Amino acid sequence: MAGGYHFEGLNPPEMTLGQKLAAVNWLLVLLMGAIASIGFAMLYSAANGNFSPWAFRQAIRFGVGLVVMLSVAMVDVRFWMRSAYIIYSGVLALLLGVEVMGEIGMGAQRWIDLGVFQLQPSELMKIALVLALARYFHGLTWDEVGNPVNLLPPLLMIAMPVVLVLRQPDLGTALMIIMGAGAMFFLAGVRIWKFLTLIGVGIAAVPVAWQLMRGYQQQRILTFLNPESDPLGSGYHILQSKIALGSGGLFGKGFLEGSQSHLNFLPEKQTDFIFTMLAEEFGLVGGLGLIGLYVLVVGYGIAIAIRARSQFGRLVALGVTTTLFLYLFINVAMVMGLIPVVGVPLPMISYGGTAMLTIMLGFGMVIGVSVHRDVRIGRAGVDED
Amino acid sequence: MRTRSETVRLEGHAKQAIETGRNRLILAGCLIGLAFVAVSARVVELSALRNHSEPALSASSVDTTLTVGRADIVDRNGLLVATSLRTPSLYADPKEVLDAEDAAFRLATALPDINPAETAAKLASDRRFVWLKRNLTPREQQQINSLGIPGLHFFDEWKRVYPQGSLTAHVVGFTDIDDRGISGVERSFDDVLRGGREPLRLALDLRVQHIVRQELAQQIATFEAIGGAGVIVDVNTGETIAMVSLPDFDSNVAGQMDPDALFNRATLGVYEMGSTFKIFNTAMALEAGTATMRSGYDATNPIKISRFTISDYHAKRRWLSVPEIFKYSSNIGSVKMAIDVGTEGQRAFMAKLGMLRETALELPELGRPMVPNPWRPINTMTIAFGHGLSVSPMHLAAGVAAMVNGGIRRPLTILETDTPSPGERIISERTSHDMRRLMRLVVDDGTGRKADAEGYIVGGKTGTAEKVGGRGGYRRKALMSSFVAAFPMQKPRYVVLVMVDEPKGTKESHGYATGGWVAAPAISRIIARSAPLLGVAPVDPEAPEIRRDLMIEVPVEGGKRLASF
Repeated sequence: MAGGYHFEGLNPPEMTLGQKLAAVNWLLVLLMGAIASIGFAMLYSAANGNFSPWAFRQAIRFGVGLVVMLSVAMVDVRFWMRSAYIIYSGVLALLLGVEVMGEIGMGAQRWIDLGVFQLQPSELMKIALVLALARYFHGLTWDEVGNPVNLLPPLLMIAMPVVLVLRQPDLGTALMIIMGAGAMFFLAGVRIWKFLTLIGVGIAAVPVAWQLMRGYQQQRILTFLNPESDPLGSGYHILQSKIALGSGGLFGKGFLEGSQSHLNFLPEKQTDFIFTMLAEEFGLVGGLGLIGLYVLVVGYGIAIAIRARSQFGRLVALGVTTTLFLYLFINVAMVMGLIPVVGVPLPMISYGGTAMLTIMLGFGMVIGVSVHRDVRIGRAGVDED
Repeated sequence: MRTRSETVRLEGHAKQAIETGRNRLILAGCLIGLAFVAVSARVVELSALRNHSEPALSASSVDTTLTVGRADIVDRNGLLVATSLRTPSLYADPKEVLDAEDAAFRLATALPDINPAETAAKLASDRRFVWLKRNLTPREQQQINSLGIPGLHFFDEWKRVYPQGSLTAHVVGFTDIDDRGISGVERSFDDVLRGGREPLRLALDLRVQHIVRQELAQQIATFEAIGGAGVIVDVNTGETIAMVSLPDFDSNVAGQMDPDALFNRATLGVYEMGSTFKIFNTAMALEAGTATMRSGYDATNPIKISRFTISDYHAKRRWLSVPEIFKYSSNIGSVKMAIDVGTEGQRAFMAKLGMLRETALELPELGRPMVPNPWRPINTMTIAFGHGLSVSPMHLAAGVAAMVNGGIRRPLTILETDTPSPGERIISERTSHDMRRLMRLVVDDGTGRKADAEGYIVGGKTGTAEKVGGRGGYRRKALMSSFVAAFPMQKPRYVVLVMVDEPKGTKESHGYATGGWVAAPAISRIIARSAPLLGVAPVDPEAPEIRRDLMIEVPVEGGKRLASF
């Protein structure tokens, strides 16, 4: 068809691997490496100056993650678009799998034991859902997005994993999935009034949700509202975290010198509360410095989204970036007592494999979008013809 | 094949989608940026603009309390009043406890005073930290260790110990289980004690404190009183050598005490002091020059003012000289002296004496005087004999110290001091000398004869005030009987105050429950026993230089009578 030729003519020729590698945003890779290195240092400190048990293994994981990230980036985005629904279905099946054969860990069923390592499908789902939604909205025109009926399939795509994650139960991840998906809906052009309506309904549903919450979830929210009410019980984490943060001061107590963390007043210092430990040892300067690095990465992601020519690429870039942002924001806000404790790790820094893998996999796609930014993709997910 | 116009229209739609997408992307970026700003602001707030409550908390529960313990408190001779012992406290991580019921049951064999059901509930909770018992003895720790229950842990804490028990209760106060000062010196010097290694040295002399407490307790028992206060103050430095309030409590187990026992009558209680205030009234009139030691007032008839009648307890129904007014504790004469000085003069004098605000004592339990407002002439008249202005016993002791030490008022202190405050002159050297003579006269030949202690030249003044009843009137049967003394009167060193709350008359006192009967004997015994400890040597009261120093020429009655014609 003539129109097809017209569009195809604008598509650049296939790039060679060398060209693709040259087009990779190495600065972004460097930034992520810097963040991960801060993580190694903090894990080294959390183990009182030892590479084991955490720092060394985390470094290995980062190495693996780096390979995965670059490999993903080399793959043509059109492949990811074609495979989006398959990947989504696969991860959804895994998520269902944890329901069936999940292993109990920390009071919640979240992991599948693959022998080599334990897989947390809820983390992978964050990326899979980004892909699936990006593909779906890529296929819709502005007018079609305006039709509420067309929003039902993506809502279902969100609802299925959210229900499964909530059953685990993992409120934090469920909220993150919803918020990340919400950002994509917003970018895809869903009308603002629909968001406002939904927020209104959400607020109205708070009392109902309260009834449905589990005891420990209610307790966390109550504790958040008044941590001093139970300083030795559920308020312990937040209070200790705030004390450690406050004790760091402007420049901190120095590397390996954080007394609150090393004396074990600070709980979960190698995972969820690692930011507090950083702020205690490196002070305000260290804390803001790390946030600054994240700002650069997020900014990079948004810039890639703006430059992407395809709706799919833009949505993927923004979806992944938003996921990273949500990890960071929820974690940091949580340890500082801005929001209730929900158990979300600090991306790239907290000890743990799946979260790091999720972020690196996602950013592999973001880099891929950047490398293939000039590729135009037709509505059906194949070359326009 | 699409037509040209279709393509344009499609491109128009695509453009709109891209346009909206870009705008929303930028908006999303801005929102994310805002969130970053919020998070960064919070980081700044928490780490740089320290929130005061949290560092204080961290300082109290971690930095000092757990690592160094509170500094000791000692008396002026270095005897231990409060110290900190390192003791283990038992806590549990319920997650590690296998069988809560069994663990609680077995634990109760080592710690009989814990409640097994309550402990089982604690051990079955889903917290990660529960206290089971604080401050164990080494033996208890050994027994618990040998039980071998998983999930139980010890945490070394500091326990505050008060070797003197209730002797120093109201002075030292006590701490809570987390080692924070709750009352007394423990509270007012909480920061110093927490940070310091050097013991805090009190002005108190434990030996004298013991004597005061014993004698006061005996008077309370004899006269079936509900309580009392006893105080010794160094007139030249303002140091509190002894301070007792009864009933008292044991600082080691203060948490379980009756609230009445926790009430410090010496500093927190404010009372109408009664006739002891005539010391101030007389000094005021002498200092103002409206009266001299030789002037006199007509005390023949009670004073009637509106519905009140002011009469004398030991009525003489004649003219009285100033020394006689003081000696016989004449209300009528005192009122007339106060009227001559005037309302403003009286208020200014009381203010200068510190009677209108809290004392300077370094204790959290300080009573605020109840000052009449407005200060009417009727108040001037009643304050002349110690009614209508309520102050704490420490106010009275500090005021009397300034009357007898040459006229200098110094702030009271609970700490030993080598460099006393220079103070502020209230009355002249000469008026102070007159006051010493007058106070000696009361003990030598007046209402306070029972207060004398041979060789120590005691001077003082009785006070018997009717307590204010619940309905605003005075309760004739509920008395506050006191005696304030100083010794040795030729060169005073200490003020001693004994106050007994609601004494009942006995057969031995012929039914009297007045200051002269109830408080004065305690003063005598306290001075006789503690003067040697305080380094005051007895002298011969008949020695000529002492007689000359404290002699008063009481004008002949007739002379005054004549003068009135």
